[in-house]
Amino acid sequence: MEDKASSPEDDALRDKIRTLLANGLETEVWPRAETSEMVNQIVNRLQTEAGDDLKKTLKIGGFTDHTITADDMEQPCETCMYYLVHRKFCELPELDVPVEPEWSCRLWRI
Amino acid sequence: MANLLWLQGGACSGNTMSFLNAEEPSACDLVTDFGINVLWQPSLGLELGDDVKAILEKCISGEIKLDIFVFEGTVIDAPNGTGEWNRFCGRPMKEWVKELSEASDFVVAIGDCATWGGIPANAPNPTDSKGLQFLKRAKGGALGEGFTAKSGLPVINIPGCPAHPDWVTQILVAVATGRADDLTLDEFQRPKTFFSSFTQTGCTRNMHFAYKVSTTAFGQRKGCLFYDLGCRGPMTHSPCNRILWNRQSSKTRAGMPCLGCTEPEFPFFDLAPGTVFKTQTVMGVPKDMPTGVDKKGYVKLTAAAKGAAPAWAEEDIFVV
Ligand code: SF4
Ligand code: SF4
Ligand code: SF4
Repeated sequence: MEDKASSPEDDALRDKIRTLLANGLETEVWPRAETSEMVNQIVNRLQTEAGDDLKKTLKIGGFTDHTITADDMEQPCETCMYYLVHRKFCELPELDVPVEPEWSCRLWRI
Repeated sequence: MANLLWLQGGACSGNTMSFLNAEEPSACDLVTDFGINVLWQPSLGLELGDDVKAILEKCISGEIKLDIFVFEGTVIDAPNGTGEWNRFCGRPMKEWVKELSEASDFVVAIGDCATWGGIPANAPNPTDSKGLQFLKRAKGGALGEGFTAKSGLPVINIPGCPAHPDWVTQILVAVATGRADDLTLDEFQRPKTFFSSFTQTGCTRNMHFAYKVSTTAFGQRKGCLFYDLGCRGPMTHSPCNRILWNRQSSKTRAGMPCLGCTEPEFPFFDLAPGTVFKTQTVMGVPKDMPTGVDKKGYVKLTAAAKGAAPAWAEEDIFVV
């Protein structure tokens, strides 16, 4: 079966995000989406404020290029329910971006 | 021959509609093959007004032997415990229910409303609705915790919103043909033959449940509905993926989450906005775990299973 992780489009976008985060793009890492209400609020903001704007998506999502630990739990993309392991991709419709397993965002959920 | 009487209280008639769609056996088979004599049923009975009342009175006096009393809908107590908001044949329905239940060999509650109150009993429960022997999880209901019908059995609860037609007809046949002794009931008086497995038992998305691949939209072929869309399949007792709906499919097979309609708490979270079709989480971990699983075990299993997921599990796949 084709390994979608090799898609050049995904790779290019992942590199772009990596560079943005490495260059200090400030994102809303905290507070994490502690309750379902907070999840809904963040998802609403992604829908209404971010749209297709990549930087706004990363900012509102609270993206980091390293794993965040909250409530004694590591929250890497790697264990997140929206993460496609083989494609290295975040499938949450409001995010919909290629990621790395050790990255993190505040909508993480297991 | 077994005489059956069916009445409706606070109901939407959904269980009658479901019953009329039964196939194995069908509603007609009950009469022609299994000797059930339908004394009266709201959608099938020919009698009206005083003629219905006469049937009910004869059942209570014993002039007509009442073998099976089926009740659909809630027992309404409002206002102020009088039951006047649901009158039938000149009296509050709750009075008919009590007297007919006492006169009958078997009492069968069909659907969530009759079993434990269902949607009408949802807070703030303006009609003071109850099920026959439960109000949600609490024992008691309209007939009281200690009630048993003449056969010695308590109310047989067939929950669901609505109940699957074949659950209804198969239980009625068992009772009518003298096989009630074969029925074992669980703590909520549901026949174990139907309600000891889970909605998840037989779901075609079990592979995706195992590999922690999520569905992110309704109707998607790939993925399990537990992780994002609030599927209650792993903690709901029902045979919905063993005895298929319309003999064809089930909610989860069609990409729609199980709402847990056979459990006393249905509808869950009092239907608060944002709780329907959405997995409720605390710091990213589901609030309601699959039955018997604890949070620590869930997190460990999920992380490991996710890492082991094969590529095909993440691809679009026909699951029905
Ligand atoms: S939702 Fe999950 S997979 Fe997507 S970016 Fe956030 S942590 Fe990563
Ligand atoms: S869709 Fe629901 S019933 Fe099916 S495997 Fe997933 S959680 Fe279980
Ligand atoms: S799948 Fe769930 S909600 Fe649907 S009928 Fe079965 S138990 Fe009820």
